[in-house]
Amino acid sequence: MARKPKSNFELILNGLFNENPIFRLALSMCPAVGISTTLMNGFLLGLAVLFVQVASSCTISLLKNYIHPKIRIPTYTLVIATWVTTIDLILSAFFPTAYKAMGIFIRLIVTFSIILMRLEVFAAKNPLIPSFWDGFGMGLGFMFGMMTLGFIRELLGAGSLFGHQVLPVKPLLFFILPVAGFFCVGFMMAVFNYVEYLFKKAKEKKIRG
Amino acid sequence: MSRAKGVAVFVLIALFIAISNAYAGGSRFITKASFLKKDKIIIHFAGAVDKKIAEDINNYYVYERTDPDIPLKIKNASLSEDGKTLILTFAEELNQHSPHVVVIKKLVSAGRNLGAAIFTVRKSYVGFLLSILIGAMLVHNFVFTKYLGLCVFFGTSKRKATAIGMGITFTIVMVCSAMISWFLYHYVLKPLNLQFFQVVIFIGIVSLIVQAVDIILRKINPFLFKAFGIYLMLVLANCVILAVPLLIVVNGYNAIEAFVFSLGAGLGYFLALFLMSSVREKLELANVPPSYQGLSIAFITAGLFGLAFMGFSGMSIF
Amino acid sequence: MRDFPRIIIGLTVACVASAFIMGAVFMFTIKAKKHNEYMEFKEAMYRALGYTHKNPAPKTLQFHEIYRYILHEPNKDYMGYMIPLKNGKYCFVALSFEGNFLYKKDLNITEEEAREKTAREKALVAVLDPSVKFFYANKIIIAINNGKRVAYLLPRGFAGFKTTIKVLLALDADYTIKGLEILEQEEDPGLGGEIVKDYFKNQFKGLTYRQISQLKVIKKPLPEEYRKILEQEEEFTEEEIRKIREKYQDSHIYALTGATITSTCVTNGVKNIVKKFAYRIKVLDRIIKAQHINAVI
Repeated sequence: MARKPKSNFELILNGLFNENPIFRLALSMCPAVGISTTLMNGFLLGLAVLFVQVASSCTISLLKNYIHPKIRIPTYTLVIATWVTTIDLILSAFFPTAYKAMGIFIRLIVTFSIILMRLEVFAAKNPLIPSFWDGFGMGLGFMFGMMTLGFIRELLGAGSLFGHQVLPVKPLLFFILPVAGFFCVGFMMAVFNYVEYLFKKAKEKKIRG
Repeated sequence: MSRAKGVAVFVLIALFIAISNAYAGGSRFITKASFLKKDKIIIHFAGAVDKKIAEDINNYYVYERTDPDIPLKIKNASLSEDGKTLILTFAEELNQHSPHVVVIKKLVSAGRNLGAAIFTVRKSYVGFLLSILIGAMLVHNFVFTKYLGLCVFFGTSKRKATAIGMGITFTIVMVCSAMISWFLYHYVLKPLNLQFFQVVIFIGIVSLIVQAVDIILRKINPFLFKAFGIYLMLVLANCVILAVPLLIVVNGYNAIEAFVFSLGAGLGYFLALFLMSSVREKLELANVPPSYQGLSIAFITAGLFGLAFMGFSGMSIF
Repeated sequence: MRDFPRIIIGLTVACVASAFIMGAVFMFTIKAKKHNEYMEFKEAMYRALGYTHKNPAPKTLQFHEIYRYILHEPNKDYMGYMIPLKNGKYCFVALSFEGNFLYKKDLNITEEEAREKTAREKALVAVLDPSVKFFYANKIIIAINNGKRVAYLLPRGFAGFKTTIKVLLALDADYTIKGLEILEQEEDPGLGGEIVKDYFKNQFKGLTYRQISQLKVIKKPLPEEYRKILEQEEEFTEEEIRKIREKYQDSHIYALTGATITSTCVTNGVKNIVKKFAYRIKVLDRIIKAQHINAVI
């Protein structure tokens, strides 16, 4: 590729904004809708995905020369599944309350296309350190997205943050209902679209004037 | 093609009759027994029975199958005019979700002592299966109520044609992989105490099936492959394909229930895709603000559908 | 096709490596997991009995478990209890479904060991006839203080609106409810999920056996002053609490707003648990007395 390799910091920013998995790439939305009901949930699942993403990216980056191209998808899936099972076992043993809050979504991390995509697109073609940061950036982007949603929904739905009551009343029960996840993600996407539109306009202005 | 269809229909009907009869249970003189209202059991006999013996409440011992040592208190036993129908009224409401076993210590009909009878009363098993099906399709619709399989959902719901293609492919792969996963779990993983392998095994099964169907379709029916091939790879990225075997394990379903559950899940997904694509096709002609165009308005639409589907919650027909 | 062997080897190596890693993590975490589960359960037991930081349990409080089994022999079915004895080990008592004593066998297993399902099964297989098949039903935990029965703790599960709800019910010696703890539930947050809140759970506290046997759910809003004492929001005197409870607490549970089905499931679940338990413990106590079993309970 003739593109200049991105600096590590740029990789992280990329994961957070330009290619934010939830709001821009529209991948791995199931948990975004389903369990972003509290800030804590969003934080914990984000952390779990971060772990799996980074671990898988590093593993594949290290093994990229030994994987036969014809079986790369099953191999990637196997690596992801192994790390997912690992974190599932660790969480259920050492953080049982958090584990119960996340329910089935931990094991479903395996189907997050975002992780598979990052392995295919980046980790399989890049050395260890950049793969680590790319994975980190993506995981961070996911966590950021989940926490934003969790923040909005918990604050407006239960009037609390991280379980501590912040508002004196519960504004709108609606936001805690899983359905609201759809609406919130939809609005956040509109916000991101608008922000991108503003950036584009500013860039065009710079070029023209 | 039509002969195969005929055979399939015949087999299905035979299965249906077999299932509903296999659970009619018990001694031959009892033709039918079922729950009636909240606190009664109604029993139908093949012939008229002796009134005095039939209306003696000490002649009966009824218990919930899970608690054979706790007899339920019978308030009253009344026989119909023609002596063929008996209604047992209990002191308290019956827990109809649990099968009840009825023991009749002595049955006398037309002067002949027929001995004891023991049979099970339960809500129709076919009804139970249907409730699992409707549950997976509507009440717990995987897209609108459980929020799984969304990535693929939004990707393939732009046009009706894509939606239908994805729906059919998904349902078929769903049922096949769920059944194979069930067998593997019950006969390999559980006995060997290797349950934590579930994730890897289930996703492995799906990958294998997707790959196999891909190869088979390519060779056997290229036209079908052209139509559905693309969707096969997407099935792998669908959360639901992993969620269903995991849920089957959690709920402890047996083989028939697992089949019905996965069928319901697939059909529910198909329904969701169809509804969504119909709306999105119309949305393309509508005046959507620029920031909301594309996925944003699609999500909001899905939210509205989700609200609508909430109306199904708590629905239980059987 | 030349690549075939390479592919097979590659896949096999990957599978084996993955299995190895997962197996290692499993071995590493299983002990911690079991310990965590046990600690959580113990905390739930203390909460259900009404002990808190301010009001801790007496040091002499002990817990003993009774395990119930259903047994199948070729031509008859019956029930059996594993009863803890004063010597620290267990004895197995078999009785017919009608409540008649069948036989008794001593088991070589301590109370600590008996908490593991596999250890119990091993001990049973050692003394029972090979043709007997047994199935674990449930267990009763009895809290003993200074040789007297203080409470019964019943961990039970029943069908909720969405999935099974697991609870821990604490009864005192005459079957009045001491406390109800919800161990596991997956109801809708904000609706059925509110069963874990004090204003629902604590409605069960203090219900007598008579009230429980006629327990029903009523769809009326929870009176404000009742809610206040349930949530222990303000400081009330004992007399005030007693008066408010007398006014509002009887054979009815105020349903949760928007979660009538869940409320009914929990109410009926609790009612069935208490009814079945009261029946069985009477039968068991009768047999323990008649057979002069040297039970620690």
